[in-house]
Amino acid sequence: MTQKTEISRRGLLATAATGAAAIAMPSLVRAQAPAIKVGILQPVTGALAYDGQQGQIGAEAAIKAINDAGGIKALGGAKLEMVFGDARSTPEGGTAEVERMQAEGVVAVVGGFASPICLAASQAAARYDLPYIVDVGVADSIVTRGLKNTFRFGPGFGMVTKTALENLAKLNEAAGKPAKTVVLVHEDGLFGSGLAKLMQAELPKMGFEVLDTIAHPTPARDMSNIALQIRSKNPDLVIPSSYYGEFALLARTMQQQRIRPKGIYAVLNGAASNYRFVKEFNEAAQFVMDCNHWHDPRKPVAEALRKQVEASGKFWTYNIPLNYSCVGLLADAIEKAGSTDKAKVTEALANSTYAGHIMPYGPTKFVNGQNQGGAPVNTQIQGADIKVIFPTDFADAKPVFPRPA
Amino acid sequence: MIRAYGPAIVLIAAAALVPFAITANTVLNFIVFALIIALAAQGWNVLGGLAGQFSFGHAAFFGSGAYTTALLQTHWGVNAWVAFALSILLAGAVGWIIGFLSFRSGLRGSYFALVTLAFAEVLRILANASTFTGGAAGTLVKLDMGPANFQFASRAAFVWIALALVGFVLIATIAIMRSRFGAWLTAVRENEDAARALGVDTLAVKLKAITLSAAITGAAGALYVQYYLYLDASIAYGPWISIEALVAPIVGGIGTAFGPILGAAALHGFGELTKLFAGGIPGIDLVLYGLLLIATIAFAPDGIMGLLKRLASVFDRRRTR
Repeated sequence: MTQKTEISRRGLLATAATGAAAIAMPSLVRAQAPAIKVGILQPVTGALAYDGQQGQIGAEAAIKAINDAGGIKALGGAKLEMVFGDARSTPEGGTAEVERMQAEGVVAVVGGFASPICLAASQAAARYDLPYIVDVGVADSIVTRGLKNTFRFGPGFGMVTKTALENLAKLNEAAGKPAKTVVLVHEDGLFGSGLAKLMQAELPKMGFEVLDTIAHPTPARDMSNIALQIRSKNPDLVIPSSYYGEFALLARTMQQQRIRPKGIYAVLNGAASNYRFVKEFNEAAQFVMDCNHWHDPRKPVAEALRKQVEASGKFWTYNIPLNYSCVGLLADAIEKAGSTDKAKVTEALANSTYAGHIMPYGPTKFVNGQNQGGAPVNTQIQGADIKVIFPTDFADAKPVFPRPA
Repeated sequence: MIRAYGPAIVLIAAAALVPFAITANTVLNFIVFALIIALAAQGWNVLGGLAGQFSFGHAAFFGSGAYTTALLQTHWGVNAWVAFALSILLAGAVGWIIGFLSFRSGLRGSYFALVTLAFAEVLRILANASTFTGGAAGTLVKLDMGPANFQFASRAAFVWIALALVGFVLIATIAIMRSRFGAWLTAVRENEDAARALGVDTLAVKLKAITLSAAITGAAGALYVQYYLYLDASIAYGPWISIEALVAPIVGGIGTAFGPILGAAALHGFGELTKLFAGGIPGIDLVLYGLLLIATIAFAPDGIMGLLKRLASVFDRRRTR
């Protein structure tokens, strides 16, 4: 009996030794270019799940593209490795995932999507001086807190509204000022109410009369009342700022009730630049304009990515090119820093002049963490496509306004 | 004395040692969050568990505590510790007002539950619309590390502070349950009319209970702000916290001193563990959260505490046999 145990113990030791050697060997070979861990934070469960999943598609595509092109050359072709975190659509969910990513040794975190998640998660990252790149979150407070680790690639709220108003004025003037009266419809959260307040102040200065401002909660399941209110005011323009579900519902209700203002001009709308909306509610979607994030249609990489996403049966939304570009921005910074040291990567981001992205921004230039080139574009749904109508230097269609009866 | 408070002291002391054994910030972060939920749940338990007045709107107190500390700091630069203390007082006052309005009108059972829900929703909409609270953009407390600002670089410090609060409330709950006030609460819970007939001032008892309950849940809200440094209307007054505050005691054991803590630990600990082992599937922890809730209601209607008691009595019977 004792003999037997003795042997099996020895046998066990031998197996263990071989096993350890087998594990150790490839790691020695691999040691030349260890993978670089990149934290990708998106809300893929909860209320913002759809946007989070779209963002994840973009980030994954970018990591794949960078690795296929030979990884980070300054670090011996090191590959990027995604450490994914589900922010669960809440700030504390985002914070918890940043903690986990930091524990797993990521070099930086990219994403967040919603402003509250970005605010909390970038703050959590700041405790470790961990670079944080905001993909979408538009709240201006994200970059005005003085956090050294936080960078926003896309435009903030102030920039988007300014552009939206300027382009609206241009659009109206070019068409011979057909629009004089406006009804604002907005969701009662961060971006909707903020936007409505700004519009109420700015539109009258530009010669528009705001007939009514209608707030609705998110989620809202019935838009008939809002549609009826719009009908009774009979405005030339409707300016909605809502998330996907609510705006799709409103557009459909307006179509059913034959409410046809001269134009629908959305700002940062969840639906008006989403192919799902174009496909599912094509008739209601016709000629809806939006001022939003959008990829640069002149860049072949952007169009190729779009084809690839659509071929896989997914819809193209702005989350994809934004996250794709943010990951590219980070990879570029690691390349420039020649290191995965957090302080060096932060410095490289602060001095970044990255032009390889697929957004219409020009080379990046960060001032207090805000990319100065970040700007929205104006799109319009025409037929089965979403066309860029402003800025004119890369628009691929002329605006149709007022909409044909 | 030792029989009554011993287990509580042992539990808290044991928990206080955890940050020495585990230094991983992910785990500490989770513990802080679970403790904040436990504290909010302890607050709910005083009113719902001990006094039998089920509230669906403890967010009203959580949010009032949270906004008080956030706004005092951002608008008037009040010291964070002072703001924290004031937020507990103000949350208690909000509790008293809501209690006064609803109990004096004789609202009971589901009517009381609905009214609390309504109060929380009204506060949420007001906080969302007002510029004073930062509206929908929320309020950011400035990141300024330092013990004087109630902000700590180490997560362990927060674990201890949260634990101290939870421990204090735990012992206070046991003390209440052993006191005359506790007996009145039980009387009101079991049969309010009978209690009144026996000379218990039920309105005063219920008011005291809701004030205490609100103050405790308000402390949880203030702690949340101090930890995450960001607050908006749907975090402060959203239904999520009302649900968390009532689900934890239901799972742990309504009306028991340990119930809220066990419930919060079980619900969140279980979810966190599954995330550790099955992290690849987003939302798997939430699925398990739901399953655990269903299982508790189906098989342990008195919560984990009830289950433990039943197990203990089974063992006792075996031993005496």
